[in-house]
Amino acid sequence: MIKLEHISKWVNQGNNRIFLLKDINLGIEDGEFVSIMGPSGSGKSTLLNVIGMLDTADEGSYQFYEQPVHTMKEKQRSQLYKQHIGFVFQAYHLIDELTVYENIETPLLYQDTKSSERKALVADMLDRFNIVGKKDLFPAQLSGGQQQLVGIARALIAKPKLILADEPTGNLNSKQGEEIMDIFTQLNKEDGVTIIQVTHSEKNAAYSNRIIHLLDGRIEHNR
Amino acid sequence: MLFNYFKIAFRNLVKYKGFSTINILGLAVGMASAILIFLWISHEVSYDQFHEKKDRIYEAWNKGSFNGKISCWNTTPKVLANAIQADLPEIETTTRVNWTETYLTRFGDKTIMMKAATVDSTFLQVFSFPTINGDKENALLNPSGLVLTESTAAKLFGTDNPIGQILELNEKFQFTVTSVVKDPPSNSRFQFECLIPWAFLRSQGFDDNYWGNNSTRTYALLKPETTVEAANAKLVGFRKKYDQEDPLGGFFLYPIERWRLYSNFRDGVEESGMIEYIRIFTVVGAIILLIACINFMNLSTAKSEKRAKEVGIRKVIGARRTNLMGQFLGESILIAFLAGILSIILVQLTLPSFNTFTEKRVEIDYTNPLAWALWLGFIVLTGLIAGSYPAFFLSGFQPTKVLKGTFRKSQAAINPRKVLVVLQFTFAIILIICTLVIKKQIVHAQNRNNGYNKDQLVYYFMTGSSEKNYELIKNELLSTGAAISVTKTSAPLTEGWSNSWGIGWKGKQPDDRTLFDRFCADQQFVKTAGLELVKGRDFDLAAHPADSSAILLNESAVKAMGFSDPIGQLIQDNGRDWTVIGVFKDFILHSPFSKTQPMIIEGAHGWFNVIHFRLNPTNSVSTNLKKAETVFKKFNPSYPFDYTFVDQAYAAKFEEEKKMGSLAALFAGLTIFISCMGLFGLATYMAATRFKEIGIRKVLGASVASITTLLSKDFLKLVLISFIVASPIAWILMNEWLKVYAYKTSIDVWVFVATGFLSLTIALLTTSIQAIKAAVSNPVKSLKSE
Repeated sequence: MIKLEHISKWVNQGNNRIFLLKDINLGIEDGEFVSIMGPSGSGKSTLLNVIGMLDTADEGSYQFYEQPVHTMKEKQRSQLYKQHIGFVFQAYHLIDELTVYENIETPLLYQDTKSSERKALVADMLDRFNIVGKKDLFPAQLSGGQQQLVGIARALIAKPKLILADEPTGNLNSKQGEEIMDIFTQLNKEDGVTIIQVTHSEKNAAYSNRIIHLLDGRIEHNR
Repeated sequence: MLFNYFKIAFRNLVKYKGFSTINILGLAVGMASAILIFLWISHEVSYDQFHEKKDRIYEAWNKGSFNGKISCWNTTPKVLANAIQADLPEIETTTRVNWTETYLTRFGDKTIMMKAATVDSTFLQVFSFPTINGDKENALLNPSGLVLTESTAAKLFGTDNPIGQILELNEKFQFTVTSVVKDPPSNSRFQFECLIPWAFLRSQGFDDNYWGNNSTRTYALLKPETTVEAANAKLVGFRKKYDQEDPLGGFFLYPIERWRLYSNFRDGVEESGMIEYIRIFTVVGAIILLIACINFMNLSTAKSEKRAKEVGIRKVIGARRTNLMGQFLGESILIAFLAGILSIILVQLTLPSFNTFTEKRVEIDYTNPLAWALWLGFIVLTGLIAGSYPAFFLSGFQPTKVLKGTFRKSQAAINPRKVLVVLQFTFAIILIICTLVIKKQIVHAQNRNNGYNKDQLVYYFMTGSSEKNYELIKNELLSTGAAISVTKTSAPLTEGWSNSWGIGWKGKQPDDRTLFDRFCADQQFVKTAGLELVKGRDFDLAAHPADSSAILLNESAVKAMGFSDPIGQLIQDNGRDWTVIGVFKDFILHSPFSKTQPMIIEGAHGWFNVIHFRLNPTNSVSTNLKKAETVFKKFNPSYPFDYTFVDQAYAAKFEEEKKMGSLAALFAGLTIFISCMGLFGLATYMAATRFKEIGIRKVLGASVASITTLLSKDFLKLVLISFIVASPIAWILMNEWLKVYAYKTSIDVWVFVATGFLSLTIALLTTSIQAIKAAVSNPVKSLKSE
């Protein structure tokens, strides 16, 4: 599914080049559940953003389903990730002005899904995460765990092959965190969704079947 | 999708009520001003455009050379119409229109004053004033038949049929109503309540074949397949053919469509006219709208940090930049729509005062779908202008940056927001300077010595039997003590009705075509008017019966004639020798802004229209007027006692400049108001974003004053820059404006100092409210919020 070869990313600070990512080689297959770990500033989020096509590497090649992402134009890239990738954030990043229902619906609007189909899909999603009763509430009226559920529902609405989660339980208590990880496991096992998560927690990493350790922009461990 | 955009836009509006209010109110005021200006312009542009044959109707103009300068004017000899119709095959027909006159009109026991135009019988065939009742073809053929307008007919006859009814005009003429036409629209050059046939004028002996009497307007309808150039070629030097007395000069035909907007000629070339005002107001309207749009841009981009997260999220979940631009434009169009509704209400509320001010009858036709379409188009356009920059700016955010929280507002020295504020205040300051200079110019001319005593001086147009009874009226005015002196004149003291280059004197060069203002007065003119006599004496028929052919000159006339000893000189005019008996200091007959011209005042052999009398200073004005009214009612019983104070007539000479001044002040006020609303919004926003910084500074010991200064300083700097940019522009503009005036004020430094001080004060007041509010807040609150 994903094949990164010699991926590097840097910023120039005066005459020094500071590497955010250095010579990353990584392959991820369909149906994997991968955790990326490492201390702060090791490049976890940068790597996730590159994989998620929100950011581009300065060097190296990136194949997504055999398609060369690194040579694509912005428009094609956005088309590609719109279809295949869903994002989940630590800070949930819901749109404050939209209700739960509308937040989940929004990705479908950008994919020009028909109104009737949208309704059915959103209703499914609300059912699945047991938040039908909350559909008309605004994000500010929900607890953190509930907001993250909405965030996951929104990431899943377009039926992505890959979920990218940047410390999805970082703002949650342990019970809420376990719920979220259970959902990820279930998605991975039952729906075959590939999941890549960035996490600090060994406990969360234990849910995955592969852990990549980053240090100073390099892969330290890949098991 | 579109519905989704509007939904979010609406929720954002409700969430940020302060910003929304400023945005909508500012835009509404801007849009309302633009709509009013548009209404004014469309009314001006529509002048005389309703005539079906407008493409073929031309007005005959004189073109003559005076001492090296070519002049053009549109009053023509009465005989011109017949001459050009006979000589020019291009012309289908001609029609003449004489000055409108007011007639005392009686039907049964109803008496009204009626404004009548005397016109040729072809008038209604050339111009489109549709007949609604009566004779269509020959309404103006019979010398004793007349045409009424719809509203005058209703005034006189109510719902009865007016056709064939007999009216009595000025107590001596009987007219039969032959037809009724629609009222002339307000955008017509002809404003009349009644049309009287030219044949009547002829029957009264007022028609003449004299080429030197340029007093009527001549219109020509060209044949469809001809060109005006062909006709005009034949009119150059046309006078040579007929005018033995003054064979120089000629005529040209001028399209009636251009009369309202152009028809200002300089040295024989069409130069400008109302179109200049239209251009100025178009620009001003656009600027006010732009300033309102700038508010929107500034507030939207200032608010960007709050919207940045949303942009990031939307991009991550699949939005393309065009989607986001669409969303933000949708928001601005929604705001423009709300502002548009409010602006219509504002326009409707201000329309009556607007009409009074512009002396128009402008209305909005709410049943016209085109008007609605224009209005919607205007809203969308405003929304697009206001929303384009924010949409471009906001949709460009990178999701990785804004979502990580590293997004910071730009700290650049020049950012677009600052440029826009400078732009707003530059306009505002230019308008303030213009207002001050215009006011200064008016005051300057008002303080000018007008050359006579205009207080307690009254004039009365000789109507009905007042002309016949003049001597009786005069004696009774004096004997009752209502007036201390009385004179009759050819025209009011504030109006120049007659001039001539045909005045003769000893030593005149044959090619001298100096134009003299011509005035007539019978008795005690210098005394009544309060002129300053330089040499000689006033008219005094009692002591010097020969004064009926005496003449007074002003100093400019003496200079123009080159007299070293003017008293006793003979002046030739109207086939008579006039003896100079006195010289007076120039007084202002025309505009107080222009130079005085040579002027002659002929004695009792002249012609008379007006009675001037100076009220008795020992009585109150109302007592004097009451007495005068009794006198006039006694000797002219059918006519109302209509009088005018000379000082009021003189004050009316400033009307146009005063209007300019009021308009400039209004526009300056509007721009300042809208700009300050934007500034207030920005200050509010800035105080909010620097909340924490202010808290830290206060903990470290900063005073309220120092924090207020800190927060206001940036804005004041911008206003100062605007002032520096605006001053030279305003100076150039006003210099250009003052060029038109011969008598003009100077543009002093204090104007700029006052404007700078004023604009800084206004800006300081606007921003400091927010700054002080931020400065006095408790630091514990702001620092805890982390």
